[in-house]
Amino acid sequence: MSDQSAPSSCTPDEKNAATSAPSAKNAEKKEKKAKPADLVIPPKKPKLSKAERRALQEAQRASKAAGGGEGGGKSSGGRGAVDIGGTGGDSGALPATSGGGDGPTKGSRAKSVNDEEKKDTVGGDERDSRGRVSGEDKTISLFSHLPRPKAPSEILNHLASISSYNLQSNFMHPAIPTLGHLYTTHSLLGGNARCRAMLQTFALLLQSYTPPSASRDFRHDIDHSLLKPAFQYWTTQCRPHSVSMGNAFSFLKLAVASLERELEWDAAREILLESMEAYVTERIEYAGKAISRHAGSKIQEHGDVVLIFGKSEVINRLLLDAALVDKKSFRVIVVDARPLLEGRDTLAILARAGISCTYILLNALTYLMMGEVTKVFLGASALMSNGSVLSRVGTACVALLANSNHIPVLVGCETYKICNRVQLESITGNELGDPEEVACTDCARVGPSNRWNEMFDGRGGGGEETSEKKEKYVLADWKDKPNLKLLSLMYDLTPSDFVTGIVTEVGILPPSSVAVLLREMGG
Amino acid sequence: MRSGTYRYGTERLPAAARTADLLRSIVGATRWTNAAQLLTLLRGIGNELAGIGGGGGNGGGSGNRDPAIGNVIRRVMYAARDEADRAPVDDDDDDGGGGGGGGGGTKNSSSTRGGGESFLSSMLWAHPRQTAVGASHHRRMRSGSGSVGMISESSEHHHYPPPSTTTSSTQVYPPHYYARRDDLRPSVMEAIQEMISELEDLHKNINEQALQHIHNGEIILTYALSRTVELFLKAAAAKKRKFQVIVCEGSPHFGGHVMARSLAEAGIDTTVIHDAATFAIMARVNKVLLPAHAVLVSLANGGLIAPSGSNMVALAAKQNSVPVVTVAGMFKLCPMYPHEGQDTLNDLISPSTVIDYRLMGDPVLSEVEFANPVHDYIPPQLIDLIVTNIGGFQPSYIYRLLAECYHSDDWEAFE
Repeated sequence: MSDQSAPSSCTPDEKNAATSAPSAKNAEKKEKKAKPADLVIPPKKPKLSKAERRALQEAQRASKAAGGGEGGGKSSGGRGAVDIGGTGGDSGALPATSGGGDGPTKGSRAKSVNDEEKKDTVGGDERDSRGRVSGEDKTISLFSHLPRPKAPSEILNHLASISSYNLQSNFMHPAIPTLGHLYTTHSLLGGNARCRAMLQTFALLLQSYTPPSASRDFRHDIDHSLLKPAFQYWTTQCRPHSVSMGNAFSFLKLAVASLERELEWDAAREILLESMEAYVTERIEYAGKAISRHAGSKIQEHGDVVLIFGKSEVINRLLLDAALVDKKSFRVIVVDARPLLEGRDTLAILARAGISCTYILLNALTYLMMGEVTKVFLGASALMSNGSVLSRVGTACVALLANSNHIPVLVGCETYKICNRVQLESITGNELGDPEEVACTDCARVGPSNRWNEMFDGRGGGGEETSEKKEKYVLADWKDKPNLKLLSLMYDLTPSDFVTGIVTEVGILPPSSVAVLLREMGG
Repeated sequence: MRSGTYRYGTERLPAAARTADLLRSIVGATRWTNAAQLLTLLRGIGNELAGIGGGGGNGGGSGNRDPAIGNVIRRVMYAARDEADRAPVDDDDDDGGGGGGGGGGTKNSSSTRGGGESFLSSMLWAHPRQTAVGASHHRRMRSGSGSVGMISESSEHHHYPPPSTTTSSTQVYPPHYYARRDDLRPSVMEAIQEMISELEDLHKNINEQALQHIHNGEIILTYALSRTVELFLKAAAAKKRKFQVIVCEGSPHFGGHVMARSLAEAGIDTTVIHDAATFAIMARVNKVLLPAHAVLVSLANGGLIAPSGSNMVALAAKQNSVPVVTVAGMFKLCPMYPHEGQDTLNDLISPSTVIDYRLMGDPVLSEVEFANPVHDYIPPQLIDLIVTNIGGFQPSYIYRLLAECYHSDDWEAFE
């Protein structure tokens, strides 16, 4: 308003100022005002887009309502926190809104502005992060491209809704949510295990499947009504699929598509079941044996000290074969890490087989690595085509330390886990775990699905115990504390420089050959 | 005397401060008349504390191994030596100090000559253990000193037995330390007081440099619990710098949880991650701040003793070209070399935090070894900067500061 009037009042003055010589200060002022007047004056009203105008309104409304109600650290933290998502321009329009203390209405209005501007979710997170909507505000901008892990309550609600879902037209075989539940609760871990379970479930589904009517091509129908919905259900509702699952699923779709058109359903079913059986047998079981043989040849007769991390089916098998079948004597150091603490299962398996073991957590790795370790064996969830290894979080740290101490690192991985993706670091492709796992520091937990067990125990009447336990945790109330976030990753990427050799069923290869292998396999 | 039970993540500063207080009261209350007595007294205190668990070094006490205590004592010893080497303010005559009189006489002639003598004698006494073979050897060394005034009188004094009997080798001091010096007490007390006030202002001085190193928009990674690092970050946040902190939880002790809570309460955007995710997250980190239990110096070293797991963090940072900054007070500067590698100043504590005892009851699992070290040794190549209360230095420079803090004779004082 004042802006608009200023140039108009200025113009006649400006002419006077040009001719006469007022005091220097006035001249300066007039000069400054004169400058825009000299140019072709655009309309003084700034061209705000609709969204920006709304944001401005929001800001004005919020600044009236906020008063002194800004939790100092809270809002300043919210405003200033680095937005790695790259929406730095966002913070300019929105700081006042972050200070607004009035609840859900502001939150929702701000959210709609956010949607309108189509910015990153981070702005929205910071704005309504009074802990009111738990889980949403605690998103970490670095990982906003990854799906959020399911909270236990969500799972229960979802399960409750399944039963009603089945009564509708789209029938879902009960085996599907059963398996899905195992995935979500981390009861079933590991690439091979998940893949086998998936193929077994598909086998079950195929056996109970009847093609609709003779005219339609059942191949398309299988794909459309059986395979795809199940797989999508698992991936979106339960847990993002692993590369092993993905490759097996592609194989299955290919098998279905390559059936002959004129086949009867019974014959077709037989073929499909056989090929799935063959896939599991060849690419998982036999591959495991071959890997065990190749890598086992690298273990010396006596005196080796082998370091392993977490739990890997392939690695366990090769160590057991070396100890029990080849009768080699060696020591094993089992390195474990939170949150899953899978190394305990490995420890139990190896110790019961009579192998002398040492068990440490990741922090003690430096202490042990420098002395006595002769080789490192690691498992993998997937191999990227540039030779880097996607594996359980913590594997990269082990490989890094081994590399800096010049200890050879062998990664055991079947070829069906090779993925034609290229990944440069651990952030672009990963999976978020349950953040409560970070807060819960009880070392007596006996398994990865402990939180689920605790929850169900609590419902069953062991509630007092679990709530007591919960109070002991330093971060038990992390959801209510502003500025505090917890991050739990499931995977990390080991760069190919750290890997000495990759043991596959076709032999021990350098990491650079993975791309060749992919090409040979026709991937 | 303090008890030696070790708690992970205890702050070094209170121990150091209380050592300084203790020294002040002991040194103030005890009767000592010359520098040698004072130094022997201090050495005795050091051995006592090392026996309980401070002082650092191998063999000594079990458990604590807190080198900060020894460092404080070494500093005071250095101050005492410094004062003793300086010319006395007044000329004191005394009976027992015939040599002292002679020494004082020569000293009185010119202060520079006194300074020259002290340099000469300090050169001769540079490796006192080697001269402690016997008193005769002693005499031979002295006669070779070339300063005539000292010889005749000092021969009366070499029979001064060093009062402490616990040390394996008898410590002998340059002859002028045995001169009675009444002015020594106030200056030594003043030095102790300086030490105490340095410890009190430690965090203030360190935090003054916070703004130099922490800037807007940075993502800083830190490991486990450290009071120094926590105050450093809070100081930067108080000056309105907006940054994010990622805290590694530091299992099995979970110091990181406490740290994160405290930082979040100060308004800093904090994220807690598992230690296993360190390498994964390092691609996005701008800077790593590490705490130090002790900063080891000898010759060109500059390595750190830090909480177990920090070596991995430092390695991951190096791999990703992320600068590693250590924040530590000067009292943590230890004149020792990491001869034992990862075992330097390290302890293996109970594995109860690694695996639950209930699980260990399984007969199969009882055959399994567990290891739970407290510290890591980080070699100096992985450290880019050490921020102390007197400024920031690169690890390869730290050894120069040694000469200003401790006297070379005292380096291995408490082993």
